[in-house]
Amino acid sequence: MRAKLIAVTILLVAFSSVASGFDLGKLLEKQVNQELNKNKKTPATDQAPATAQSAAAPQPAANQKIDVKQLGFALFGDYSPEEENRIGKQIAGNLLGAVPLVRDDKLQAYVNQVGNWVALQSGRKETTWHFGVLDTEDINAFAAPGGYVFVTKGLYRRLNNEAELAGVLGHEIAHVTQKHHLKVLKHSSLIGVLGQAASNKAKSSDQVVQNLIGNGAEIMARGLDKDAEFEADRIGMVYAARAGYTPWGLPDVLQDLAGLPAKDGRTSLLYKTHPLPADRLAALGEAVDGRLDAVQGKDVADRFYRIR
Amino acid sequence: MKRFLIPAVALLLGAAAASAQAAPGTVLRDDKLYSQPSATASVTGSAAKGASVNILAKQGGWLRVSAGKSTGWIRLLSVRAGAGGLGGAGLGDVVGAATTKSDPSRVVAVAGLRGLNDEDLKQAKFNADELARLDAWVVTATQARSFASQSGLAAVNVPALPKPAANAKSKPAQPSSWESNE
Repeated sequence: MRAKLIAVTILLVAFSSVASGFDLGKLLEKQVNQELNKNKKTPATDQAPATAQSAAAPQPAANQKIDVKQLGFALFGDYSPEEENRIGKQIAGNLLGAVPLVRDDKLQAYVNQVGNWVALQSGRKETTWHFGVLDTEDINAFAAPGGYVFVTKGLYRRLNNEAELAGVLGHEIAHVTQKHHLKVLKHSSLIGVLGQAASNKAKSSDQVVQNLIGNGAEIMARGLDKDAEFEADRIGMVYAARAGYTPWGLPDVLQDLAGLPAKDGRTSLLYKTHPLPADRLAALGEAVDGRLDAVQGKDVADRFYRIR
Repeated sequence: MKRFLIPAVALLLGAAAASAQAAPGTVLRDDKLYSQPSATASVTGSAAKGASVNILAKQGGWLRVSAGKSTGWIRLLSVRAGAGGLGGAGLGDVVGAATTKSDPSRVVAVAGLRGLNDEDLKQAKFNADELARLDAWVVTATQARSFASQSGLAAVNVPALPKPAANAKSKPAQPSSWESNE
């Protein structure tokens, strides 16, 4: 948190300097070093950030050495669908470097059909959704910005019908529509992006993106905060229900996971990055209560694609 | 190591019947037991947070459970599968797992199976070939709608769910598990 405050303060200084036409790169570098060193002795005050957001909002001049627009959007702006996709593509490609896709075109086509139908209920436009089943017995699912959604073979095997698949995909789709990962990236990379800019290496926007993401698929190992997971559960359940499935698919999957042994190696990453199933069920219970009592939905067990 | 017993029971026995087969469960929040899987049915008892129950059957968003002397239907989200109460990891223990029903068609040996870990992910190198595979499976909205209608799926209007914090106002007596079950 403190780091963020400082970063925002630095940015404020940086942007004002842009307006007056200094060499941004040099100035940033100086400021970053100054602020970082200063921080070792004195903690930041709480005053700066409230005004910093609004002060930084106006777009600075475009003809600077560093692509300030890139930097600005990386930290404060709303990403366009193209930008989100570029970030997501990088993360997805990195994730696929760790674990490949299952070589089963029918399975992958099926998951893409279910996923797109559920994603249609989100109302998100201008998105090309990509779904994939990852070839690992690990039990998990992942999402990346811009519409990338993955479920592991280990999790897929445990599913009993299309409604459960829809619930799992709905949860991941919700991470995309709520831009959960983008929020994490913005939070955690303020200093990093600034540092990169200061050392004047961020000449290409790809480098800004790469810097934003970190190494490999690190963000997948880091996970989101609990509230984001609970929110994705609520929204995912609703997406599945809107798609005509029974809303209880996702809860059924969570019940299944709740019954697995605690020390199962296949769920260690899942529980490192997600609240425990019991907590997710309880949180959903508070939110749902009787609200979905009238919703009738289908299981669609008959056409559920089984892995050999 | 397979699918937990509840769905298996539901599949085998359908909605109504209970049987000798029962799976352990733990109550996640105070809730009522009903004579039928409906909040408009008569109340047959109640279950307190932390109580152990036996799960007898499942239907939609409801579980038929026995808790002490009472038997009745409770909301699916008010119970978690697995014994062991609310303490500890909140996951099924080894004993609980041993009670799960095995499905020979999907047996996976748990022992020795290693999942993904942090290092795998951090060390990962961008794989353009795998990424390109995804493009072959891209589905248009039209195709997705057609796929849905083949199984009689149609879009339904379902309002968004509120955040539990707002909901907790209606039950000021107890802290919500949302807050307490960290």
